Amino acid sequence: MRPALSLTYFKITAYLRSHRVILPFGGLLVVMAILYSVRVNVGQELPSYADSAALLVPVFAWAARGLLDAEPDVQRLLSITAVGRPGREVASGLLAAVALNAALALVALVVPLAIGFSATPGPQALLGGLALHLLSLLTGTAIGALTSRPILPDPAVAALTLLGGYAGILLLSLVPVTWLTVPIISWMRAAGQGDFLGRSLPGLAGATLFWCAVALFAYTRLRRTRP
Amino acid sequence: MRLANLSFRYARRAPWVLRDVDLHLPPGTVAEITGRNGAGKSTLLRLLAGVTPPTRGRITDRPEVVGYAPEIFPVEQPFTVLAYLTRMAAIRGLRPAVIDPWVDRLGMAALLDVPLADLSKGSAHKVGLAQALLAPPGLLILDEPFSGLDAQARAELPRIVADVAAAGGVVVVSDHQSGLAGYPGIRHLHVGDATVQPADAVAAAVDSSPASGTVVIEITVDAADAEAVAGKLRAEGYQPVLRTAEAAMPGRPMPEGREEPLPAGQAEPAGPGAPATPGAHDAGEDR
Repeated sequence: MRPALSLTYFKITAYLRSHRVILPFGGLLVVMAILYSVRVNVGQELPSYADSAALLVPVFAWAARGLLDAEPDVQRLLSITAVGRPGREVASGLLAAVALNAALALVALVVPLAIGFSATPGPQALLGGLALHLLSLLTGTAIGALTSRPILPDPAVAALTLLGGYAGILLLSLVPVTWLTVPIISWMRAAGQGDFLGRSLPGLAGATLFWCAVALFAYTRLRRTRP
Repeated sequence: MRLANLSFRYARRAPWVLRDVDLHLPPGTVAEITGRNGAGKSTLLRLLAGVTPPTRGRITDRPEVVGYAPEIFPVEQPFTVLAYLTRMAAIRGLRPAVIDPWVDRLGMAALLDVPLADLSKGSAHKVGLAQALLAPPGLLILDEPFSGLDAQARAELPRIVADVAAAGGVVVVSDHQSGLAGYPGIRHLHVGDATVQPADAVAAAVDSSPASGTVVIEITVDAADAEAVAGKLRAEGYQPVLRTAEAAMPGRPMPEGREEPLPAGQAEPAGPGAPATPGAHDAGEDR
C-alpha cells in the first residue's frame, strides 16, 4: 500500500510542478465567475451547486487527463517496475486524479460560501452540493482516464473525445431515462425539487456510480495491454 | 525464471514480434540479447520486466524485485536528480540513503542538484541505471546500458552486473556496444524472425569462417521454385549453386556445382567474391 501511495504522491508532485494544473484551475475559476457573479438568492443554493457540478465535469476530466499524461511514457514503465505491479501503477494514477479533483471540488464548494451565496445554506444544501460534486469529480475522472495518452495517444483525438464525450452525455441525459448514461441533466432538474437527498439522490448516485464503474473498469482493462 | 510459449504482437492483425518463445533463465544468469534494429529486443526486455503483458504464453518465477534501465531515460520531468531518485526509492519503500552507493559507483555526485531536463545523454543514462539498482534486483533489465557512459561508469557496469548475478539475480542486457564482451559465462541470445535462440552457433559459424569473412547459407526450397530463387540471388550479385538434397547430406561426396532444378533441391548461395566451389565451409545454419 505504501509504495502505491508514494507513487500517487510522485504523480501529483510531477503534475503540479509541470504547471499543467493552471488550465483546469483556470476553467474552474471561469465556472465560478459565471455562476456566482450575481449573488444566489436564499433557497437557490442547491440548484447552484448542481449547475456547478454539471459544468465542472469537463474541468475535472481535463485535470485527470493532464495528471495521467504528465509522466513520460517510459517513466510509467519505470514506475511499474518500482511499484511492483502494473495494477498498482494504474490504481496510483486514478487515486492521484481523484485527489486532485477532490481539491478542485473543495474550491468549488467553498467559493460560493464566501462570495456566491446571499446567506449560508442549511445542511441539506451543503450535503447535496457535496454529493453532487463527488459524482461530478468521479465522472470527470473516468472521462479523463479514458482519454489519457495510453488509451488515446493522439492529443487532438483525445481532446475532441473528451469534449465530445461530455457533450454526448449531456445530450443523452436529456432523455428522461435516468439509467441511459450519467444523468447530468437530471442532477440539475432534481436539485430544484424538494427532498433531493431522500428522494432523488439515491437513484441519481446509483446511475452515476454504475457508469463511472463501467468506464473505470474499461480503463483498467485497456491499460493491461497499454502500459 | 521461465518463458513458456511466449508470443507478442502489438495488435490483433499485426505481425508477431515474438512467437512461441521458450527460455529458461536460472538465478545468476547474465544474458546478452542481440539482433538487428526492430527485431524485438526492447519488446522482449519489456516482456521480461513485466511492464508489457504477453499476447500468449506466460512468464513464471519472475523475481519480486525488478530493475529496468531504459535505452533512453525520460528527462522531461520536473525534478532534480536527487529529488527524482529519492522519490523512486520511496516508491520502492526504501530510505534515501540507498541512493548514496550508486552516486559513488556511477560518478553522479556533481549531478545531484541538476534538473533532469538539463542532463546530458550520458548523465541521464546514469540516472536510469541508478533508479534500477536502488533495491537489489532479482531481475535486472538493461537496454543499451553502455550508451553514452563515461569511462568510469563503463568500467563499473560489468562489476555491477557481476554483483547482481553473484547475489542470485538474473541480468538481461541488450547491448550494441559490446560493453560486456569477454564477460565470463555470459549467455548470448539472438532475437530475429520472431524467435529467440542461442546466438553461439551463429557466432561460431562466423568465427570459424576464413579471413574473407564469408559463410555459406543453405536454403532448402521446393524443386519447382529452385530456379526462381536462384535467379533472384543472381540478380543480387550472388552465385547460387544448386544441389540435390541427397548430395547435400553430411558424409556424402559433394557434386560439382550445376545450375538445374532438381527434386527437393537446395540452393546454396555464396556472397560476391566467395569461393565458387560449393560446400567449401558449410556453416550448417540458416540465416
